Amino acid sequence: MFSVIIYGRNDTHGYNLHKRAAISFNALAEVMSDPDDEILFVDYNTPDDHPTFPEAIHDTLTEKAKKVIRILRIRPEQHAHLKSKTHLVALEAQSRNVALRRSNPRNRWVLYTNTDMLLVSRTPGESLSDILGSVPDGFYQIPRFELPEMLWEAAFDRRDPAGNLEKLRDWSVRYHLNQVVHNFMPMKYDALGDFQAALREDMFAIHGFDESMLLGWHCDSNLAARLALYRGRVDTLIDKVFGYHCDHTRVAAANNKGRQTRMNDQDQYIWNVSTPYVPEQADNWGWPDVEIEEVRLDRETSYQRFTAGLDAALKPAKVPYTSTSLEWFLYDDLTYDIDHTLPFVADQMLTYPRSTSVMIVATRKEFVERFLTAWRAMGFTGPILVPNECEGLPSDLEGLERGAFEDLLPRAEMFIFEFGLATQSPEEPIRIGRQAGPLDARRLKVVTKLFRQATSTEAETRPPGRRTPRRFVGVNVIYNRFWPLFTDYVGANINPFCSQVLAGLPRVDPSLRGKVLRFRGRRAI
Amino acid sequence: MSNSGMLLRLSGSLREVLGTRRRQSADEWVAGSNGGEAEHLFLRATALFRTGDAETAIRLLRQAIAISPAFSDAIEAEGEALDMSGDTAAASARYEQARKLRQAGRAGAPDRHFVLRQQGSHTAEIVAYTRVLKSLKKFALPHLARGNAYLADGQPDLALADYERTLKLHPNSLDALALKGEALSALGQYAAAIEALDRVLAARAKDAEALNARGIAHMALGHIDQANADWRQQLGLLGGRPSAAAYVALRLADYDAALPHLEMMVRNDRRDPYWTVYLRTALLRLGRPLSSDGIVDGDSWVASLLALQSGAASESELLGRADTAGRRAEALFQLGVAAHGRDRSAARSYWQQVVDIGLPTLVEYAAARNELARSAS
Repeated sequence: MFSVIIYGRNDTHGYNLHKRAAISFNALAEVMSDPDDEILFVDYNTPDDHPTFPEAIHDTLTEKAKKVIRILRIRPEQHAHLKSKTHLVALEAQSRNVALRRSNPRNRWVLYTNTDMLLVSRTPGESLSDILGSVPDGFYQIPRFELPEMLWEAAFDRRDPAGNLEKLRDWSVRYHLNQVVHNFMPMKYDALGDFQAALREDMFAIHGFDESMLLGWHCDSNLAARLALYRGRVDTLIDKVFGYHCDHTRVAAANNKGRQTRMNDQDQYIWNVSTPYVPEQADNWGWPDVEIEEVRLDRETSYQRFTAGLDAALKPAKVPYTSTSLEWFLYDDLTYDIDHTLPFVADQMLTYPRSTSVMIVATRKEFVERFLTAWRAMGFTGPILVPNECEGLPSDLEGLERGAFEDLLPRAEMFIFEFGLATQSPEEPIRIGRQAGPLDARRLKVVTKLFRQATSTEAETRPPGRRTPRRFVGVNVIYNRFWPLFTDYVGANINPFCSQVLAGLPRVDPSLRGKVLRFRGRRAI
Repeated sequence: MSNSGMLLRLSGSLREVLGTRRRQSADEWVAGSNGGEAEHLFLRATALFRTGDAETAIRLLRQAIAISPAFSDAIEAEGEALDMSGDTAAASARYEQARKLRQAGRAGAPDRHFVLRQQGSHTAEIVAYTRVLKSLKKFALPHLARGNAYLADGQPDLALADYERTLKLHPNSLDALALKGEALSALGQYAAAIEALDRVLAARAKDAEALNARGIAHMALGHIDQANADWRQQLGLLGGRPSAAAYVALRLADYDAALPHLEMMVRNDRRDPYWTVYLRTALLRLGRPLSSDGIVDGDSWVASLLALQSGAASESELLGRADTAGRRAEALFQLGVAAHGRDRSAARSYWQQVVDIGLPTLVEYAAARNELARSAS
């Protein structure tokens, strides 16, 4: 019957976002009763190494919510062409249009709202699907009632949407919450963007939201103006449903700077609107030709993929624990435990697109084999690229491609540099003072050289059309002699030694030292 | 008659006596299709409701509804007043009644300008945008939105005034110019409409709605070739809009082109029984057998049309039920379709009557003109 369209990103937009959003997701799912109903959450521009916002809070969502939520992930790379035109990190019109394009075509309605709304039908037991199924074609809004922060934060149980909606029925009377704030036409009500129900067909006809609105605010009013023109009236569902907004102004959100807030021009986007259509974007609104990843919370979750990968690559431990040491006299000992390290490497991968191609520059054959097994079992489809310059590594495994480093560089979307000892056997004890032999030294020299070259030339060797920098994952680069090398070239956080793994983007160090390092890296000196 | 109604009638007579028409200012409200008395009561009731006097507001609204029973905005306003007074059940019934009334009429043809696809009275919108114009006089939206409401409300002269005000403020607004063309056309000023639409199409050659409007104006003036050229061009722009494409093809009396779109609409939109009527029209004109799918039961107007197509109703029965000029034109067109197989002269006679009495905006009007032109050549 209807597709709810909301958007956001895995950040801290306003006060206690996680609780607000969980309450809202669960409450929206609760009022759905048609099998075609869906909540489309567009996760816009969350950093690639983070999970999407709903994934980050999935444990607070009901099973029903997880079943109806479809997450459409827009990557930073897909936002890069707009970055210079806006101060915002999440764009409403683009998000909502991407969702509209990909919404269930069987649904008659699209409902635009936000991740802090609860909708309470006035007839207990009546779902929003029933309500929207019973009303004629049109453009419907409802007034927004405010819910003091104390109430939703202190009294709502995230995973009890029915109980929360019942509480609202009670509070609305006891605490006089229901005040309709009228507004000029075509807006009709204040804060109209928290409930705008339009026919999916109408939204396609008017070319979705206006994607030139890049500065935030008034997207809802613009839509109201255009749909008011298109439909001739703005109808209300106030007799059917009340909408409550979890107030969150204790902390200003990123797009709220008080009187200094930059916003889309009201005159242009509301009062001088003269047509419902946006012909400039008629063919490309909602990015029809862009591949948008879809993530589900009820199947093929990151956790399921992670464990599938590791279960394929690892056998369970036979001892209660193993040990290693970070004492300084072991600084030159590059032995490490692949079984223990692999989960931390895999952890770096899961939030990236499945089609990602990864270059592995390594010393240990076993690392490459085990990683490849995990990679495939985690559902990745992109190739593992291994430079010919790295000797002793496998070349006949499915999904692995060998080639000259220079040729593979522009194909890689992520890098793994592993600094181990080629001669380490699986049974060897770890970090007991083992020195690198001549073969190890030769292989490590190659890895070092390619690492410097890859990081120093990252910007100019990106795949064609790519604008965002690529991620470097370092394996066995903590508290050993490759720690300073890795962190000279890569902006990595300080991680616990136990994880063995550091990751980050290439550093842009403007100092003389940084310049020298880059010069050496580029010329492989 | 109430005082307000008397005042309105007297002021109207004085104007007529003096032979002058006062120029209406932009933020002045003028009553619409529900009639001056009912709409004045509505206006007064909504003002009183805002001051907190729900009881009087409800009383006035009920008077307005008694005068104009299809006044959906008054019914909805009564619902709101009842709701705020705590009578939720009665309120809910009023809201439902208002929605049903708005749904009741036949929507405008889907190939036309979006404003002309709307239906029913728009009093609340006219009042609301007039209120906006008291504060915001220099912007396009309130003028255009109110003009559209007037146009949909069947008051093209008032719509035209709003569009002209918009064009004074925004002389380059092609959207306002296109609407001006529609308003002129609705006033029967087809040559002026064509002139306005020519300017729109010179700048926006692919404006499907302007092409449709110019086609209608041309057809009204008997420029059949020019009308058809516009509609052919429009048809080429309607990919993905089978409802609009079906109507344009019907205007052209191009039943081969209409057929796939009509078949799709019969499958996809079971709420509008006219799709079945038009599908069967196309099948009859193409000499193909009719299927029994989509037959509408009951005594609705559309059921009568379908009954005629199936041979289950007579000419006199159908014409007896045609209670408006539009329905009469629809009936005569279908009679022409039914007669065409056996008596072309009779068919021509029916279609000529469609042209004589029908509005040029009707799909049957254009189809009849094309049928007549084709059979004459």
